Amino acid sequence: MPAPDDFDYDAALAACAQGQSQALAQIYARESRYLLGVALRIVRQRQHAEDVLHDAFVAIWQRATTFDAARGAGRGWIYSVVRNTALNWVRNHARDVPVDEESGAALEDEMAVQHHASARDAGETRVDLGRLDGCLEQLEPGRRECIVLAYVDGCSHGEIAERTHTPLGTVKAWINRGMRALRDCMT
Amino acid sequence: MNPNTPTSLPDDDDLQSLAGEYVLGTLSAAKRREVEARMAGEPALRDAVDGWEQRLHPLTALAEPVEPSPTLWARIERSVAPQTSAAADSVKRAATGVQTWWNNLNLWRGLAGTGFAAAAVLAAVLVVRIQTPVTPQYLVVLVAPQDKAPGWVVQTSGSSREQLSLIPLGTVAVPADKSLQFWTKADGWRGPVSLGLVQPGRALRVPIEKLPPLEPNQLFELTLEPANGSPLDRPTGPIQFIGRAVKVL
Repeated sequence: MPAPDDFDYDAALAACAQGQSQALAQIYARESRYLLGVALRIVRQRQHAEDVLHDAFVAIWQRATTFDAARGAGRGWIYSVVRNTALNWVRNHARDVPVDEESGAALEDEMAVQHHASARDAGETRVDLGRLDGCLEQLEPGRRECIVLAYVDGCSHGEIAERTHTPLGTVKAWINRGMRALRDCMT
Repeated sequence: MNPNTPTSLPDDDDLQSLAGEYVLGTLSAAKRREVEARMAGEPALRDAVDGWEQRLHPLTALAEPVEPSPTLWARIERSVAPQTSAAADSVKRAATGVQTWWNNLNLWRGLAGTGFAAAAVLAAVLVVRIQTPVTPQYLVVLVAPQDKAPGWVVQTSGSSREQLSLIPLGTVAVPADKSLQFWTKADGWRGPVSLGLVQPGRALRVPIEKLPPLEPNQLFELTLEPANGSPLDRPTGPIQFIGRAVKVL
């Protein structure tokens, strides 16, 4: 992650709202590789992820006037725009309908590689999740995994049930309780 | 009823649950649209969504960084550039589609047909297929530095694969005592190589076996030069169109 240090995301978004495209270029230069990583985990195909990032940056540019620093940090707002663009893409493209055997196998291979890579990365770099980390640690592992699979990998309830070999109803209940516990922990 | 019971609690739980699953991403497309529509008129729902976005945001750090392809920023830049014509809008719409706009020859031809290119805006698309067993395919969008609008298509055809064809999409105004010269330079080259003079409104054929294999990011440009071309082995006049090769296959 780039150190959220000297760069003023709120000011950059304000500049975008005034039509200064240089500010959008600065955000892109700084964040595009991290944002593409976030989008790729959710949509899983490189070309789609780049389309998502394109659409998200156009949205950032067009909706910068609606950004309100009083409601949250600019950097978080940018990530939310990208995640929402990616999530809308996967939900609209109904990834969770049954795929044919061949592409299903390819997808599994791809997911296995990504899963391995992310597990390795998380283990080696031990990214700092701050307060959330402690609260996640307190969750039962099953609930924690469901939340991470949903948020980071864009998995639907059905996909999580499949990947964790857990009944759908249990997945829904775990997520519900896990989220409630997170909120209690972080309030 | 016990007046001390906060009656809003169950509602709040439902709201938090809905907001939480919206941010988590587990809602269906229809539910997502519903939440997005409701947020505008329900500050409590919007607050709940904001809260969840902030709570879960650190998890974005778990996604490993991926370098975007070098052309993505140019694509974004074109899409956010001030849109001054219907033609430019159609470029923008096409750019957001699943099929990338630069593969759409009809789009470029259509733009020329609308008189867009006649407004003295110049650009070119160059599609190069090198017929090797791997068959890498490159493409270059040459855009006018100011207008970024299409004016030319360059490609190889199956029957003449040793040749590039620069195909004009419209007429180009060049002063009588000047000419347009076509150049290319790859990153490792010492200087640019001339691909010849371009006649306004006329196609230019370039044999590609004279060239080293095309490389990703290879620079192509058209410059305004004296009538007989640049007196030097490099451009001397202003750049009229410029772009870089992108490997698309």
